[in-house]
Amino acid sequence: MMTSFLFRALDAKAGVFVAILLAVIVAVPALNLLTPPDSPFHVPTYAVTLMGKYLTYALLALSVDLVWGFCGILSLGHGAFFALGGYAMGMYLMRQIGTRGVYGDPILPDFMVFLNWNELPWYWYGFDMAWFAFLLVLLVPGALAFIFGWFAFRSRVTGVYLSIITQALTYALLLAFFRNDMGFGGNNGLTDFKDILGFDVQANTTRAGLFAASGLALMICFLICRAITRSKLGKVLVAVRDAESRTRFLGYRVENYKLFVWVISAMMAGIAGSLYVPQVGIINPGEFAPANSIEAVIWVAVGGRGTLVGAVIGAVLVNFAKTWFTAALPDVWLFALGALFVIVTLFLPKGIVGTISQGWTAIRQRKLSAAYADGSDEPPNLPPNSPAAPANVTRAAPSSGAEPQPAE
Amino acid sequence: MSFLKSFLMFLCLMAGLVGTGAAQSDLESLRPLVNALAEGKYKETQKQIGDLAATGNPAVAPALEALGAGELFFRKSDKQVFIAKKAGKGYALSDPLTLEDAGETGRRAVTKIKVNNNLRRVIRSALGSLTLLAPDPKVRMAAAEAVFKAKDPEAIESLEAAIAKEIDDDVRLVMEQARAAAVLNSDGSDGDKLEAIETLASMGNREALSLLIGLRDSSEGEVQQAATRAVNTINKSLALWDNAQNIWYGISLGSVLLLAAIGLAITFGVMGVINMAHGEMVMIGAYVTFVVQELIRSSAPGLFEYSLFIALPLAFLVSGAIGVGIERGVIRWLYGRPLETLLATWGISLILQQAVRSIFGPTNREVGNPDWMSGAFELGQLTITYNRMWIVVFAILVFAGLMLVLKKTSFGLFTRAVTQNRRMAASMGIRTPWIDAMTFGLGSGIAGIAGVALSQIDNVSPNLGQGYIIDSFMVVVFGGVGNLWGTLVGAMTLGVVNKFLEPYAGAVLGKILVLVFIILFIQKRPRGLFALKGRAVEA
Amino acid sequence: MKKTLTGLALAGLMTSTFAGLSYAQEETIKVGILHSLSGTMAISETTLKDAMLMLIEEQNKKGGVLGKKLEAVVVDPASDWPLFAEKARELIEVNGVDAVFGCWTSVSRKSVLPVFEELNSLLFYPVQYEGEESQRNVFYTGAAPNTQAIPAVDYLMSEEGGSVERWVLAGTDYVYPRTTNKILEAYLKSKGVAEEDIMINYTPFGHSDWQTIVSDIKTFGSAGKKTAVVSTINGDANVPFYKELGNAGIKAEDIPVVAFSVGEEELAGLDTAPLVGHLAAWNYFQSADTDANAEFIETWQAFTGDEDRVTNDPMEASYIGFNMWVEAVEKAGTTDADAVIDAIVGVSVPNLTGGYSAMMPNHHITKPVLIGEIQEDGQFETVWETSGLVGGDAWSDYLEGSKDLISDWRAPMSCGNFNVKTGKCGGSDS
Repeated sequence: MMTSFLFRALDAKAGVFVAILLAVIVAVPALNLLTPPDSPFHVPTYAVTLMGKYLTYALLALSVDLVWGFCGILSLGHGAFFALGGYAMGMYLMRQIGTRGVYGDPILPDFMVFLNWNELPWYWYGFDMAWFAFLLVLLVPGALAFIFGWFAFRSRVTGVYLSIITQALTYALLLAFFRNDMGFGGNNGLTDFKDILGFDVQANTTRAGLFAASGLALMICFLICRAITRSKLGKVLVAVRDAESRTRFLGYRVENYKLFVWVISAMMAGIAGSLYVPQVGIINPGEFAPANSIEAVIWVAVGGRGTLVGAVIGAVLVNFAKTWFTAALPDVWLFALGALFVIVTLFLPKGIVGTISQGWTAIRQRKLSAAYADGSDEPPNLPPNSPAAPANVTRAAPSSGAEPQPAE
Repeated sequence: MSFLKSFLMFLCLMAGLVGTGAAQSDLESLRPLVNALAEGKYKETQKQIGDLAATGNPAVAPALEALGAGELFFRKSDKQVFIAKKAGKGYALSDPLTLEDAGETGRRAVTKIKVNNNLRRVIRSALGSLTLLAPDPKVRMAAAEAVFKAKDPEAIESLEAAIAKEIDDDVRLVMEQARAAAVLNSDGSDGDKLEAIETLASMGNREALSLLIGLRDSSEGEVQQAATRAVNTINKSLALWDNAQNIWYGISLGSVLLLAAIGLAITFGVMGVINMAHGEMVMIGAYVTFVVQELIRSSAPGLFEYSLFIALPLAFLVSGAIGVGIERGVIRWLYGRPLETLLATWGISLILQQAVRSIFGPTNREVGNPDWMSGAFELGQLTITYNRMWIVVFAILVFAGLMLVLKKTSFGLFTRAVTQNRRMAASMGIRTPWIDAMTFGLGSGIAGIAGVALSQIDNVSPNLGQGYIIDSFMVVVFGGVGNLWGTLVGAMTLGVVNKFLEPYAGAVLGKILVLVFIILFIQKRPRGLFALKGRAVEA
Repeated sequence: MKKTLTGLALAGLMTSTFAGLSYAQEETIKVGILHSLSGTMAISETTLKDAMLMLIEEQNKKGGVLGKKLEAVVVDPASDWPLFAEKARELIEVNGVDAVFGCWTSVSRKSVLPVFEELNSLLFYPVQYEGEESQRNVFYTGAAPNTQAIPAVDYLMSEEGGSVERWVLAGTDYVYPRTTNKILEAYLKSKGVAEEDIMINYTPFGHSDWQTIVSDIKTFGSAGKKTAVVSTINGDANVPFYKELGNAGIKAEDIPVVAFSVGEEELAGLDTAPLVGHLAAWNYFQSADTDANAEFIETWQAFTGDEDRVTNDPMEASYIGFNMWVEAVEKAGTTDADAVIDAIVGVSVPNLTGGYSAMMPNHHITKPVLIGEIQEDGQFETVWETSGLVGGDAWSDYLEGSKDLISDWRAPMSCGNFNVKTGKCGGSDS
């Protein structure tokens, strides 16, 4: 059943995307590991890790797009789920250090030793086992999302109110994790990782492996999102996004639908965070910063809200721009980044992918019209809701009520 | 400062009086004592100050005052001591006893006589007993306070002399308290001490408490019992005052939140623009204050006391103009797409931050407090700082002014019409684009004047706005989007709740609890404290 | 189209990689500067970036190092800790720098540590920190707790400092204040201070409403014993803290505040008139009366084109670190990391307070400790200093876990955490 569910997600367009992703997953590690460093095709380890990070960001963007682009829930706090997944992974990696910490304590992480903690807090138990940690990568963000969503959706907190309380959520967690008393390393967070599943995190092969894992996770989550959005469930979600009250009056339990994608999305963000941590080598409360969550929303908007591919591309592109700007224009890069956001909003309101596919449709339409005028007997219209087209892009009606408006 | 001025005037007068005739030789007998200050380290200096004070001659007061202020120097060549004031690249010297002008000198020719906290304390008490009889009641008050802090039993005699002559009731009260403090420290009789305990107990403040606790722990018998009783009474009344203090702190924090949020209540609450650049408007207002003060410092130092009044309209205009620019340039293309305003204004906020960083540098800039914004006064056992008090007043004035504009002017009427039903308003002949621009400008301008106020209590740095943006959104949403009263009540509630939590939970946990409180509250009232009613809600 | 974009991204990375390599062919020695130019830390770090650029320019005027010119590579880690690691890797791998000067706050240093270890490069860290670290590739030119906090407390306990008996340890809630306060608490108790005479208080980053805490301090200070505040409050929050303190009328003569994170730069944003007499403990003050310092200040003000620009302790630490690196490279005759690490221990260069600072085997340096009082003009006046130089301790003697550890990176020990009890490298018994 699962296979057919996923299979349904695979049509031509998704197929192209998945194929490219697969090619990248294979090619980048291969070029890194198999070619000599002076070969023109060699991908330096630096680039592998960097792109691995982009892929985890892409996964975060995908999870934001699932709730925002398809269900109209604008989360300004998805960074919280990302960071919680990251902390679960970080705690596992800390426990793997064992006696190699600077104090050589077999159980306690370094930061607990010098702050005179005598024993491991209960919530650190079990994190020495990989399966347990990986399970919590899913369960902790999932559970938090479930509790939060259960109350919020049932109370019909919508629109900008929801956005702001998600922001309050991540901000509260930020402050909480900053506290050293919490036992998560305070501002320094968790760092100095050694092994993951027995492999050295700094080894090239491990980095390549983590890159491939991030790519695979992205691919699988992409397919799941795709399957969800193209199922009947997905149609209801879009209905909720476009007219929540109407959907409710039609008899759908709106809050249950919302809760379902919300939890799925949070888990995906958790996975993204767990893959991010071993690649960048640190997790600290800064990941909870509301600004990070807002940035994730911006990636989606730049790529194209409501298009899964767009979210991925937006995340990769914006982060690549950031990497490049911070090195090339260290003094003025914020001007460039700020201008990018303004320009994209003004001139590419549907994001990059949205605009391109809109243009593409327009060109096809024109061609068909021309062919019709030339005497072809095919009528000049596409199927009203072409399954190949990303969900909402082709039929967005500007400035009518159809445009999703979380704020009133 | 004004105390210092009148004090110096008094000194001049004294110097003028004693500087004539026979007193001249008196002064010259003091000179070796003053010149001795050029020798030795802190320990020696302390002894020398004692020698000077022991003369009991008020003529040494100017030298001591200058020493405490770090303005007493000695000439390297002949170890002569002078009062030196910065003048250009060097110093203008004056005689420490006669206060006559003694010419100018280069920076390297003189050396400062170093003082530290300990010495400043010694100087303060020495000056206190020297100036208890000064003609200016303010100087006498300061002297009495200094003597109180010193609690030196040797001052009892001069205090009693001063009390006998004192005509000002307030000053006499402080002198009596100072005497009580000194008596507690002396070997006086139990009867004297009991009387002193009574005097102190009636003060009821922390300083008295500190003295009484010291006495309780060191005395015995009847005195100890009396001290214990007094401590308990003071503690009880202080506990009550603590609550009043928390409420005041809450209101003060609330008014800061209100100021930060009220501009947002317009751009976000009324217009629906998720304005992430709001914090930067506040920051720009603060930088306008900085620029105004810089200009005043360099060209018209006399106007410094009025710098904030000059900065207010300018900040309003600058931030408002930038706001209008943003609205015309970017936001007007985005109406009906509120979430995209989030994106664009986020970009704008990055640009504005970096622009300020490029122009003014990344470091904090100094914005001074005018005298009327510095210091504190006591209300019962409550210490109220002037800057906090004026900010509370200012926040209320801004709120009232804004309400007036929105409810009583035709511009306000148009604004409300446009935000309620744009097309209908346009049909009635209102120039909606103009109203949009002006409303956004108003919100931004208000943020700008909030910046003027916040510059008085916070850093003026490019990050200023970032610190307030999240709190501002919380306040607006908590109070109910689109309702200014909601913003007022929301800000005050959050402020007071925060300040009541802080003593028990600590600052960090207190803030977390407030956030959790907001999240839970929104579950209960999904539209905030003052929800808009009617069809607009589901629009 | 997806392909083109990915391709573009890849191509961009590649070109930057190759561009980096081709630069490295030229006859310059590259030095990386890793300081945040945007975000919350820009306020402190931008100055250090400028200071480094100035030092490099001055060195080039003197003919560079090993006959080659130095070339600065500046990047912006944007106060984002994971980005520090990424940028460090970029500097070393892509730009091929031979040494990196940078970081501020422990978390940024912790974030880049594994990178420097893996790629075997050099990092000079110029800010005071909590200690509890000694890494082969890192040189700590700022103060450790024993070269800043403990002498400051000693001073306050002395008769000259006011014989303080009651202590408020106020800090921002992060690792540096937590550790420093742990150390101070243990130290104070060892000096016979009772538990109830110590009040510890933590606040969040950027805390701006200090009313409650200032009033708590006032209350705590009114218990009849001489009280002092030891402040490890982080940069940004200091301005509102001191403003509140000044307005509430807490005078230095009554309750002095000694700060470890407040220098000339922070005071430049404040009206210091009400703060005269409050203290700071550093290893350098701009007011230090030496020729080297006068020249340094003059160069700095000319470089920034601002006659009022102040200098501060982390700048001096950068100055010392940079000169030590230059000296070590000249001594080793190469910029190779291993050779420099071997050569730098024992290198001694003039500091700006009139003495010489030497690199010790634990990669910390020797410095004088100065206690200064804030003056009305925003400068500090030194009221006390250690009679000799104090060497930074990597491992505190006052913490349970670290008192048995020592660090010595010279052969044959070559260990950052040697346990003298077990005689083994690698922390405690295991």
